[in-house]
Amino acid sequence: MSAVFKREFKSFFTSPVGYVCVAALTALYGFFFYQVMVMGSTSYIGSVYYTIFTYGMMIVPILTMRTFSEDRKNKTDQALLTAPVNVSGIVMGKFFSAFAIYAIATLMGLLPALALSAFAVLPWGIIIGNIIGTLLYGGAMISIGVFISSLTVSQVIAALGTFAVSLMLLFIENLASSSGIVGTVVKWISFTSRYNTFTQGLFDITSCVYFLSIMAIFCFLTMRKIESRRWN
Amino acid sequence: MIEVKNLTKRYGNNLALDNVSFKIEEGTVVGFLGPNGAGKSTTMNIVTDYLSATEGSVTVMGKNILEEPNEVKKLIGFLPELPPLYLDMTVEEYLSFMYDLKKVKLNKVSHINEVCEITKITDVKGRIIGNLSKGYRQRVGIAQALLGNPPVLILDEPTVGLDPKQIIEIRTLIKNLGKKHTVILSSHILPEVQAVCERILVINKGKLVADGTADRLAHDLSSEHKLIARIEAPEKELVMALKALARVIDVVCYGEKEPGVFEVSIEATPGSDIRRDLFAMLTRRGWPILSLRNTDLTLEEVFIQLINGDAVLINQDSEDSIIEKGAEE
Repeated sequence: MSAVFKREFKSFFTSPVGYVCVAALTALYGFFFYQVMVMGSTSYIGSVYYTIFTYGMMIVPILTMRTFSEDRKNKTDQALLTAPVNVSGIVMGKFFSAFAIYAIATLMGLLPALALSAFAVLPWGIIIGNIIGTLLYGGAMISIGVFISSLTVSQVIAALGTFAVSLMLLFIENLASSSGIVGTVVKWISFTSRYNTFTQGLFDITSCVYFLSIMAIFCFLTMRKIESRRWN
Repeated sequence: MIEVKNLTKRYGNNLALDNVSFKIEEGTVVGFLGPNGAGKSTTMNIVTDYLSATEGSVTVMGKNILEEPNEVKKLIGFLPELPPLYLDMTVEEYLSFMYDLKKVKLNKVSHINEVCEITKITDVKGRIIGNLSKGYRQRVGIAQALLGNPPVLILDEPTVGLDPKQIIEIRTLIKNLGKKHTVILSSHILPEVQAVCERILVINKGKLVADGTADRLAHDLSSEHKLIARIEAPEKELVMALKALARVIDVVCYGEKEPGVFEVSIEATPGSDIRRDLFAMLTRRGWPILSLRNTDLTLEEVFIQLINGDAVLINQDSEDSIIEKGAEE
């Protein structure tokens, strides 16, 4: 797993993809901080983190689109699959490398807060809650993205598919207000409602388990998908 | 060493491999020959566990690929049809990655240097693979297969797309590798297989149709054993004298090719060799022999016959015995 992780992680920085993702998010974070803190002169920092996490979703499809589609297109998967490693190692290596970039980009969001902390007392509980929520949300989305990437040789389709799923999961919340079973199920599925508890500075174990389960399920499905290709 | 038994592979309704069996002994260079789409790559992909067989088993050094896939993979160095190279890495980074991936236990720096020396890529080690020429990429692919000194090397069309000089270099390289490794290579280029391999397996439409050395294949497939000779002698006496030789069945004269020189074809009983008797008779009579060749088919002709389905060198009943014979050679 470590060999695959190292290679994938490095490759994000040999092509500019890694730099651009981190830089774009850091710039966006800076901009929103400036807007809210200075122009609106509010000290309610939680609202900043609550809105900008959606921008983090922008980079997820970019990070995951190449994971398996590129390998299959360039036939480099033959090197991976004929090496004495388990499929689980390959999938986890790729998942964690994409997640590492995402985590770096997310943690960059702490920079403005650290700068502000020199001048004011910040609600760290809410900030940390938001960061943990964003990481979990992102991890779940990345596992879905990696899975979609394993379904196709086209990076564009992988990216668009992941983007569509992430938008749907973002807005499915709107259906939660409907009464009856649909509302209950949607509320249970909705990533956003799971995420919301973290934004209030609460560490909610059920939501945490929910996101971790999503990651486990989609990593598992990816492994099965890669395995099944050998049989066709 | 490598034993493949009753291998069958179906892609949906498409039968890619049909009950293929063979054994390969240690230290041989075996050529896999067949037209495009015959099932060469499929076989190689199954032996390296990239694909799974629909039926049948693969055993490498006594280890079954289904039971101990990772153990078998450690024994095999594989160069797929398209070398699995990450174009954004340098040669050194790539080999270092493959070294880690294959969990090689040798000294990393010296082993990678050694492999680069063997494949002659030391001077491009620091370059990005994407910027290398096809020949060098192929070498990097071979270098990758050599990492960890696996006892078995499987090379899928290693010389495809190379220029003639590179082809000769890669062939020499493979021949040298054959001294230390068991090598299976596939090709649809006959002279290549003939030049490099000790044993040839011909595969067509998913079936193994021949197995043996190049000479044996050519010999066995020629239905008749004729000699074509040019002899300086009077025509009628010559034909009479030749017909009088022991074991000669038929003599046909093709006419005068040079002044006073006649070309004749001499057909002998199957399995007999009359060349010495022929020479003795001609010297006794003082008739100089100017050329002599036999009509064994060239490998090209063998190949065409095999893939046209005119001939099969293995029939399913006596398959084992023929394969054993092939293995001994």
